Amino acid sequence: MNRADVESPDLVVRCQAGDVDAFAELYARHSARIFSLAARMAGSPETGEDLLQEIFLQAYRKIGGFKGDAAVGTWLYRLALNHCLDFVRSRQAKMDKATDAIDGEDRSEVAARRESPVERLDLERAIRQLPEGCREVFVLHDVEGYEHKEIAAMLGIAEGTSKSQVFKARMKLRALLI
Amino acid sequence: MTTPHPDGVTLSDYVAGDASLEPAARADLAAHVASCRDCQAMVDSLREISAAARRLPPLTPRREAWNRIERALRADGADSKSRVRRRPLWPWLAAAAAVLLTTLVGFKVVDLRRQSAQATSAAGPDIATAQSVEAELAQAEQHYQKAIAGLEQIANAEKGTLDPQTASTLEKNLTVIDRAISESRAALRAQPSSEPAQASLLENFKSKIALLQETIALINEMRRGSDTGAAGAVTGLKQKGT
Repeated sequence: MNRADVESPDLVVRCQAGDVDAFAELYARHSARIFSLAARMAGSPETGEDLLQEIFLQAYRKIGGFKGDAAVGTWLYRLALNHCLDFVRSRQAKMDKATDAIDGEDRSEVAARRESPVERLDLERAIRQLPEGCREVFVLHDVEGYEHKEIAAMLGIAEGTSKSQVFKARMKLRALLI
Repeated sequence: MTTPHPDGVTLSDYVAGDASLEPAARADLAAHVASCRDCQAMVDSLREISAAARRLPPLTPRREAWNRIERALRADGADSKSRVRRRPLWPWLAAAAAVLLTTLVGFKVVDLRRQSAQATSAAGPDIATAQSVEAELAQAEQHYQKAIAGLEQIANAEKGTLDPQTASTLEKNLTVIDRAISESRAALRAQPSSEPAQASLLENFKSKIALLQETIALINEMRRGSDTGAAGAVTGLKQKGT
């Protein structure tokens, strides 16, 4: 169990009382995970920071309703995920168009083997270059660890679409990283 | 006879250990991959990408991200508590600002230009006079700094009342003025008797005081719920930094 999972009840109570300093502590514990999700889903650290601000402002307004059924970090992450999904859905039409671009890629084009491991920074950059649509699904599946059926439910798409989007994203990353 | 290449999505599922693949289908895939260099290469690279994605460490937002959020939270908190909290603070803010303004108006700024001119019109450079001018400048600076500190205290205590965009404009403008103050100081260190540097330093102090006064005026207007007054004050704030 990491540090972020261990929240003192006092911290939650102080947050519920509108104590901004307590929120600063909550932010210090959870901002990296939430920012990672937001920045990767959005494909831009700048948009990720905008989403991060919106998420914490929303949390500040909603934490009064937090009942303690789960850890506050889990509650915060769900809030963040929903906010990111709303963001993704709001540009759904654009996303569908953008992902068409890689539909025709031929798997045989990239048969060469790589010996070197994928560099972390290269991968971060490459994820940002993924077209909207497959990037979000890839982040949810390969980075955040959600199952295809969960992603399908979250994004309102077919499970098969989630699978093909992850495949497209992996192929695109493979092409970008090799 | 070799089996046909499986499609990419199937190989991708195979890499991910997708539970929807039947054991028999999985075994067939494994056999094909083991005997096909292309598919083996594909599986290896897909697996590598997937594993690297799982290992990605968390990203850290910039430090400024929290500053923005904190301002928004404080503004939001102040907004929701306005009916119980805002009104009683207004007389204190107004009184504090008024005291500072009186202090500034009452303080007779030394006419450094005149003194300096008198010094240079004498028989030659007078070290004692130069030292006197520097002392007067130091005294003037001390008074300005005291006034600035007081105004900053008031402005910072209630800055959360401002919307993030205005607060950001204010910070930007203050940064510009602070930089100008630093540059004037540096010029004065190089040439302590430079009249333009002396005048510039004092002008920059005045600009900072004016900006802080307008910030407090804006905070007060917002507390009173005067959109017109607040709009005027915002315009003033924006103009100060340009």
